[in-house]
Amino acid sequence: MASTINASTSPAAIVQTADGTANLSLQSNGTTIAAITSTGLAVTGALTTNGVTGSPYTMKNRIINGAMVIDQRNAGASVTPTTTGYTLDRFNAEVSQSSKFSVQQNAGSVTPPVGFANYLGVTSLSAYTLLAGDYFDINQPIEGFNTNDLAYGTASAKTCTMSCWVYSSLTGTFGGRIYNNTANKSYVFTYSIPTANTWTFITITFAGDTASALSNSNAATLYVQFALGVGSTYSTASTNSWIAGNYLSATGATSVVSTSGAKWYVTGVQLEVGSSATSFEWRPYPFELSMCYRYYYQETPTEYYYPFACYVSTIGVAGGKWPVTMRAMPTMAVTAASYVKNIPNSPYQTAITSITTDPTIIGFGVYGTVSGMSAGQCYNSGFTLTASAEL
Amino acid sequence: MYKLVNLPNGKELILRVADNAFIPKDGANTDYQAYLKWVAEGNTPQPADEGA
Repeated sequence: MASTINASTSPAAIVQTADGTANLSLQSNGTTIAAITSTGLAVTGALTTNGVTGSPYTMKNRIINGAMVIDQRNAGASVTPTTTGYTLDRFNAEVSQSSKFSVQQNAGSVTPPVGFANYLGVTSLSAYTLLAGDYFDINQPIEGFNTNDLAYGTASAKTCTMSCWVYSSLTGTFGGRIYNNTANKSYVFTYSIPTANTWTFITITFAGDTASALSNSNAATLYVQFALGVGSTYSTASTNSWIAGNYLSATGATSVVSTSGAKWYVTGVQLEVGSSATSFEWRPYPFELSMCYRYYYQETPTEYYYPFACYVSTIGVAGGKWPVTMRAMPTMAVTAASYVKNIPNSPYQTAITSITTDPTIIGFGVYGTVSGMSAGQCYNSGFTLTASAEL
Repeated sequence: MYKLVNLPNGKELILRVADNAFIPKDGANTDYQAYLKWVAEGNTPQPADEGA
């Protein structure tokens, strides 16, 4: 129980009641908007605060790079996936056949939805006829450490909502799914794009899976997947509920890859706790970039100099630290474009050859062969390197 | 195709020959998971270089 202060329109009055407790309820026409108790203030209505009218970055959005701002690998260039692999940061193109579509940040140069500057654009490269076992999709796997509060596998499993903007040259019913990778369970959903070449805001609300837990680890737990064409083996008519098995889309959903030149674009992808979509969570660019670095990082020789110690005249070692701790020990490649100089701006440089690397979750070592150096000396080196700890 | 590589510090990594990428033996690394699957299918990596 609580004392109340009620702003009433009929009768037009401020009505106060006291019940002798230490609790106070603030009401609008009898509906409690906020309650004060001995433990604090609980707001049940909308809370608007001057200076916080945007979205404070509280990690409500479990999707990383949902606004499609970061594209380390391709810097806005078009790529045609020949095998499954990442495109814009954290967004994976899963393909069962080579070269059926291209992916590009801001493909086609259409105007993004208001408030966004970028999108992920898919363009179909042929009128492909799907085979039963085919699958084409864009997805993002979410790390278990970022989902362990969802309480899956318990009676308290949380309802979540995925929202985003989609755009296509095609109209109709499209498919996708939320995938519980830990338990191999699929929540297949559909969404409609009623008007071609127009951004459409979609929301998918799905109940938490009370039966199957998610791994509390650095492994992939939930996937958000947008189907671009899926054969019968991985399609189902059982939508909007958790079902056992690996189902990527809904039976009969539109296949983007089956129309040559078809476009499908997406941005503002958000997955949040709750039964309705809220405004997109804008995070500062360095924050978002750092989140991407946990899964993929690259640099070129002009971006940083590393000490390169020659322990004999022809062999040396360098070491560095990643910008953030990576999800796992990354797969690391260093190309022959890497080099050693005797001083940073020296015209003399020599390529590093016979390179081997030693990546860990916090840093790396690079061993290599050089020429024209002296044993026991330390030089400057720059690397063209990539490190991937993607899910 | 893969090749084993011995580092000067004694560690052993796997070289993915196609793109010259070094894969650490970390069970959470998806490339290492793919390598283990490849081995389980009956394939064998190239041995490390002598004296490396």
